[in-house]
Amino acid sequence: MWMMSTVLLGMLAVFSLSAHGQTLQEKIKNHQPVVVGTEDDYRPFEFVENGKPAGLDNELFQLLKAEAKFDLRQEIIPWTGLLAGVSSGKYDAAVTGALINQERMKAFDFAMPVAANMHFYLKRKNDTSITGIKDLSGKTVGVQSGSVLLARLPELEKMIAKTGGKMGKVVQYASYPEAYQDLANGRVDYVVNGEINLLGVMAERPGVFEMGQPVVETPSYVGWPVKKGNKEMLDYLNNFLRTVRANGKLEELQKKWLKTSFKNLPEHVEPNF
Amino acid sequence: MSRDFLVAFAHYDQYLSGLWNTLWLSAATLVLASIAGCFVAALMLTRHKVVRLPATGFVDAMRCVPFLLFAYLVYYGLPELSIRLDSWTSGLIALAVYHTAYVAEIVRGAWTNLSREQIEAGRAFGFAGLPLFARIILPQLFFASVPLIGNQSIYILKDSAFLMIITVPELTFAASSVQSTYFVPFASFVIAMLLYWLVTLVIEAMLKRVELAAEVRRA
Amino acid sequence: MSDLPFLLQGAVVTASVSLVAIVLGVPLGLALAIVRWRRVPLLSPLVALYVSVIRATPAITLALLIFFGSPSLGIVLGAAPAAVLTLLINTSAFNCEIWRAALIDFPRDQVEAARAFGMPPRLMFRRVVLPQVWRTSLPALVNEMTLLIKASPALAVIGIVDLTRAASRIGAATYKPLPPFLAATAIYMLLVMLFVAAQRYVERRVRQRFEMA
Repeated sequence: MWMMSTVLLGMLAVFSLSAHGQTLQEKIKNHQPVVVGTEDDYRPFEFVENGKPAGLDNELFQLLKAEAKFDLRQEIIPWTGLLAGVSSGKYDAAVTGALINQERMKAFDFAMPVAANMHFYLKRKNDTSITGIKDLSGKTVGVQSGSVLLARLPELEKMIAKTGGKMGKVVQYASYPEAYQDLANGRVDYVVNGEINLLGVMAERPGVFEMGQPVVETPSYVGWPVKKGNKEMLDYLNNFLRTVRANGKLEELQKKWLKTSFKNLPEHVEPNF
Repeated sequence: MSRDFLVAFAHYDQYLSGLWNTLWLSAATLVLASIAGCFVAALMLTRHKVVRLPATGFVDAMRCVPFLLFAYLVYYGLPELSIRLDSWTSGLIALAVYHTAYVAEIVRGAWTNLSREQIEAGRAFGFAGLPLFARIILPQLFFASVPLIGNQSIYILKDSAFLMIITVPELTFAASSVQSTYFVPFASFVIAMLLYWLVTLVIEAMLKRVELAAEVRRA
Repeated sequence: MSDLPFLLQGAVVTASVSLVAIVLGVPLGLALAIVRWRRVPLLSPLVALYVSVIRATPAITLALLIFFGSPSLGIVLGAAPAAVLTLLINTSAFNCEIWRAALIDFPRDQVEAARAFGMPPRLMFRRVVLPQVWRTSLPALVNEMTLLIKASPALAVIGIVDLTRAASRIGAATYKPLPPFLAATAIYMLLVMLFVAAQRYVERRVRQRFEMA
């Protein structure tokens, strides 16, 4: 028993030598692939339709890949491991609909935003008990685990408290399709997600859901994270984004996938949450 | 890396909360499945086909189905039949029903392997009916099944981790939540693994004591 | 139902990932069991530790650790290799105990007789021990294979679109989860029954060929 514990501790000590990440230049020089991660089901930013990646981020990635002079690859995985993959060096960047907040900026640098997303709540269309923020008191909310939508729920809590109510139970889901399913079958009373995402799901399932009011005061910005300090990858992505902003391609794709366009997105964001 | 472990440890309350949920879910399942399993085993051993066949069918079906799929059926499938249970209830029911089948199989096996000689000797000495059952048959059944049912409790513990997918905040869910918020995947899941291991060691130690008691009895 | 092909694709993924893990896991388990049986210094306690920890780890936790945790160790794994590795590590620990139980039960007198005749250990193992030990282990090994198939849905969390994830995707898209889940249940049952039937067949043939007394 003691021998086993010593061996175990020894192994953990050895693994404490953390892996050293390579820079963009090193990878290009050594003909190693540059890998970005993308979420597998976060409409309309990225999802898989009939086996093919679709959505705003995936189309932008195709453009990125087309003009990259090196081996640029993409891995599509569940949200749970995406940011951790970037911070551990598995991915050089995440081309995903991630929201920017202070906690994340401690570990990541974000490229310039591709969209601004206000948080709203979604309810069942036939649920007449919810007409405004005050009706959310005591009701169960569904939200994605590890998301800024979850992290900013305290702002909604304050809004409900102002109307004299209290926030109900919070249920965390690995991904949004499951949350919408539980909203449809009545297990949760409302789901909090970005306006862009909710407009998308209402278009896909007309008549089932209805969008309510904003649950935050200021929008969150959507940006691609790279590991903090990875200036090369950050500059590379920012150059690309600057180009697609200037030549109108970004606006075109925004209109196509997000059904709206953002004309004056900042280049750098300093969230206060 | 060691920094990662410190970050993960800082959120020990989440792990403890998840561990607690895992433990009481598993314990509740063990109790429910043990009781229900004995009933189902009795149903499987009856002469009446009308009862025996569905019982055996149920047990065989549960032993061919992956637990996660069964949990999905209970959680997402039942609402389609207008039966909507929350995640806790769904999880507990899924675990209990699923493992009832396994316990039933264990008890049925123990019954079939009962020592004929002891029972006949008991009958020769004049034991019959309830005393025969309580003093000769039941102890044999008990000591034959308990190690296997104890073993099953480890399977119950491991199956409880699947419930994270239907949003039950047990230990693996806690580990996943910590790692996706603070980006410490290796540290987070290693801690979870070690906790599962510790619980298993405790269960195995308890089982050894039961086995020792059985040995003493047999001697 | 255009969903059926998608479901069957998932079934193929489940079957192939499971098969690779099974095929690699049986010999790996044997290797680990031999290390324990022969009490190889330093390695034997390591294997004991490995088996003890892995047998206590839920498949889903192991999958999450291997796929999301490996980059922290500098190892970059794709989803498919991580999936196979998860199942392989899991099944090797259980197979080790199965083989070990059979090895321990193996009659010492045969081993000693072989040694008395000067048979080198490797040859003895190959021609005396193994042929008998695999027959003893077969039911438990096949049982473990069915357990592996039943644990394979854990891989859904690392993005593998296996049978369970395919069924769940269909359900999440149509909001009618019952049909795909029931279909998936039927397919899993088929897979498990296939293994059980194969085991019964092999046992019957073995009995016919080797039945001595």
